[in-house]
Amino acid sequence: MSFTFRAGPHRTVQANLEAVEAQLLAYLFGQLLDLIGPDEPPAAGADPLAIELGLADLAAEPEHVAPPDDPALARLFPDAYPDDEAAASEFRRFTEGELRAGKRGRAQCALESLPEDKGGRFDLDEEQAQCWLGALNDLRLVLGSRFGLTDDGQEPGADLPGDDPLRAYVPAYHYLGYLQETLLEALPR
Amino acid sequence: MSTAPIELEQPDAAEADPLQSADRPWTTIVWNDPVNLMSYVSYVFQTYFGYPRTKAEKLMMDVHQRGKAAVSTGTREEMERDVAAMHGYGLWATLQHD
Repeated sequence: MSFTFRAGPHRTVQANLEAVEAQLLAYLFGQLLDLIGPDEPPAAGADPLAIELGLADLAAEPEHVAPPDDPALARLFPDAYPDDEAAASEFRRFTEGELRAGKRGRAQCALESLPEDKGGRFDLDEEQAQCWLGALNDLRLVLGSRFGLTDDGQEPGADLPGDDPLRAYVPAYHYLGYLQETLLEALPR
Repeated sequence: MSTAPIELEQPDAAEADPLQSADRPWTTIVWNDPVNLMSYVSYVFQTYFGYPRTKAEKLMMDVHQRGKAAVSTGTREEMERDVAAMHGYGLWATLQHD
């Protein structure tokens, strides 16, 4: 029987991908990892001991943390206080590193659970299935941002210029949506 | 069977309702966006907040149709935790001070 995701025993999810699907996903998860980037090093001039003791805030004047320049990253790490720049900066300073690590970790875990060259059947434990759910969603958010999607009625990719190489990603965007929907149905509740 | 101390039956006990007290005037707002799947948003509300399916779907429909929904209420600290969690799931969430 053909399936993409289905509920397996002991709260697992069984996955079944063609080789070409597995290769596409390995590529996309890798792109997501590149976009999210490595851990931010501590700010230059910060006192490492103060950071370790959690006293960095006392040791230095808190610096302003702006939203990421890349709109796709700004969508992954949005402002928590839309009308209060200082509070938004504070929130970002305390949460963005952990959020980034979480998203990177899920993309990495999804990539590692994928038999990336040959596809076929493989099992996801509960944690891996959550990694897939999060990474698929983050990928769709990134592509949606690249396509300039802002309203429910917009057709993904329709606003891109005819020769825009991003057009090649439109089928992938729809495919990721199908995967996420199917995975949601297969997840244990 | 236990008998309650008489103090607890005084009418002003209502003022101690944590939902009404002054340190809980913050709200987590989730905004509509064209990417997140309706089934996913409902799943997140059930999974993270532990809301029953009907409540999660009602909130999801509010987000979808009205453009936003208030999904939780509490102290500023609690709501910052919820907003950060929503960002972790990829939902577009902000804090609102009522």
